[in-house]
Amino acid sequence: MPRLADPNPIKVADCGCITPFGGAGATLAALLRGERALQPVPVGGIAGGDLVPLALLPGRDIDETALPSWGPAMKRLLAKHIGPQWGTAKRPVFFTSSNFGVGHLHAYGRTRDEKHLTFGSPYGCVDWLRRELGWGENFAIFSHACVSAHLGLVHASRVVSAGLADEALVVTFDFISPFVSGGFHALKILNADFPAPYMNRATGSIGLGDGAAYAVLKRDGDGFKILGQNLHNEMYHFTANQPDGLGFTACLAPLMEKTKGLRLWVKGHGTGTLDAGRMESTRMAEIFPSSPLTGWKGSLGHTLGSCGLVELAIAIEAIRAGRTPGTVGSSAPAFTPNVALEPFSNREFNAVLCASNAFGGAHAALLLAHD
Amino acid sequence: MLLVVLMLRCSLLMIERYIQAVNTESPGLEDPAATRERLKSRFPAGAARRMTQMGMLTGSVLGGLEPTGEDAVIYASEFGESRALESFLESFPNASPTMFQTSIHPSGVQQGLIGRQRSVPELFPFAGAGCIAGHALMAALLNPAKRVLFCGGDERGTWLREHGVASERTFAFALSLAVEDSPGAIGCLRVLPDDGAAEALTLISWFELLAQKNPFDGSLLPGLKLQLVWKKS
Repeated sequence: MPRLADPNPIKVADCGCITPFGGAGATLAALLRGERALQPVPVGGIAGGDLVPLALLPGRDIDETALPSWGPAMKRLLAKHIGPQWGTAKRPVFFTSSNFGVGHLHAYGRTRDEKHLTFGSPYGCVDWLRRELGWGENFAIFSHACVSAHLGLVHASRVVSAGLADEALVVTFDFISPFVSGGFHALKILNADFPAPYMNRATGSIGLGDGAAYAVLKRDGDGFKILGQNLHNEMYHFTANQPDGLGFTACLAPLMEKTKGLRLWVKGHGTGTLDAGRMESTRMAEIFPSSPLTGWKGSLGHTLGSCGLVELAIAIEAIRAGRTPGTVGSSAPAFTPNVALEPFSNREFNAVLCASNAFGGAHAALLLAHD
Repeated sequence: MLLVVLMLRCSLLMIERYIQAVNTESPGLEDPAATRERLKSRFPAGAARRMTQMGMLTGSVLGGLEPTGEDAVIYASEFGESRALESFLESFPNASPTMFQTSIHPSGVQQGLIGRQRSVPELFPFAGAGCIAGHALMAALLNPAKRVLFCGGDERGTWLREHGVASERTFAFALSLAVEDSPGAIGCLRVLPDDGAAEALTLISWFELLAQKNPFDGSLLPGLKLQLVWKKS
């Protein structure tokens, strides 16, 4: 196994996630078994409607409650980081989400219970959470749809790299509510079908899932090295990518130099939509022809703004275990031969590329060394 | 970027950027339809029809700086696209796809950029109150792009405003920042270490500094202070 030469990369010193399967270890194990967390749920929750594939935390209802139904899960996830050591001048917290507590605004509309309004804005929601966790006031909030978590990682890396912080905590969370399921259903990309990422079939479909994750970034000490990160924003269309797929290339190209000599596997975005999935797998096959491409949203659903960090935590767990889950929910024919439909050993690889995409043609990629 | 990192890590002395231009909008209680009529000539034909007030205002102040494919964009809004959010919530049980996509942060800045088909390498959208101005400024100052466009604002909500979940005031700002000083620079931003008590610089306070071209020397974030100096014209 070749050693990776990079002077002083930022390191992921600690990382974790929570999905309907449990923590990163339990989630990895379920994905390796090919299990699917997505279940048919009425799109409008208590209001009913079409059944759509959603992956909700066990016991959590899609209709929001006050206090937030996701609060206990966040406290479990961050249990070892509770206390005043975070949110300080040298240990800032970067929160990311695409939903925050917006489900509470929908719940307020349904119930007129004013307790929901406390959690209805990004700040109200995050400020409540950080107080519950005992953290200080030095925190920032990013929201950029489904690349939100990547932005938190990029900016936290810069802050730590510049010496403005000793370490930084990136926290991301997205919990499904009728607000977001109703929105995606209205866009006609969340329907009755279960998602089959990168599968060449007649109709595309996504699923949505609850997910939260965190990462502690440091300059020194042990941890998984971040070899590079890059972003690109097409600004071609609100929901669609530019049809030539060049947005994917524009995001990945600056990382090409850093991947020389590496044996990569790729954790793609792969929501289950046809056009974006075909473009992504085609571009990945062109740029990294010998790298298997896998994606896990066919099981976990799309955890939206949090997917970049939730799936990074699972990727790190997969590296530790030496085995990477395949593209759960999909079967042949895939769009391209690089799509890994079955689990595979990752011991012969020494890096993973984690990619995410979002509305507005936003792209993000993170290159992580195995050792 | 490497130079910036080395300078900071070796000395932690100062980060400095030069303000090339500033645009602001403060339309008071102007109705969204009136804003659209007033600003529609600044956008490609057909684009303005679908834009929100926040999108029109942010797109206008940012568009005036003529973004290029080399610029990084930092966007800060406490509440984001409040009017679209209100409309989307009102559309249930027949959820509106248009209002859904328009309500998603950072639609306010994307509307103008998509209308003009301006790709950008990096877009960092911030949300929330507290230290938002300080953190967004630091994102601008740490960004490796030669030119960084820092924009933001909020739009006055209706029923969400009455519950404190939308802004009381409509405003927008955009400024371009460069690493190097130039004859055309109109001001300078400096961030220095500080051991004084941190007092959050709110987004509206930051907007007022830009709109009034007022100087500032005070707390930015815990451990950091900001100096804003305007050049005499």
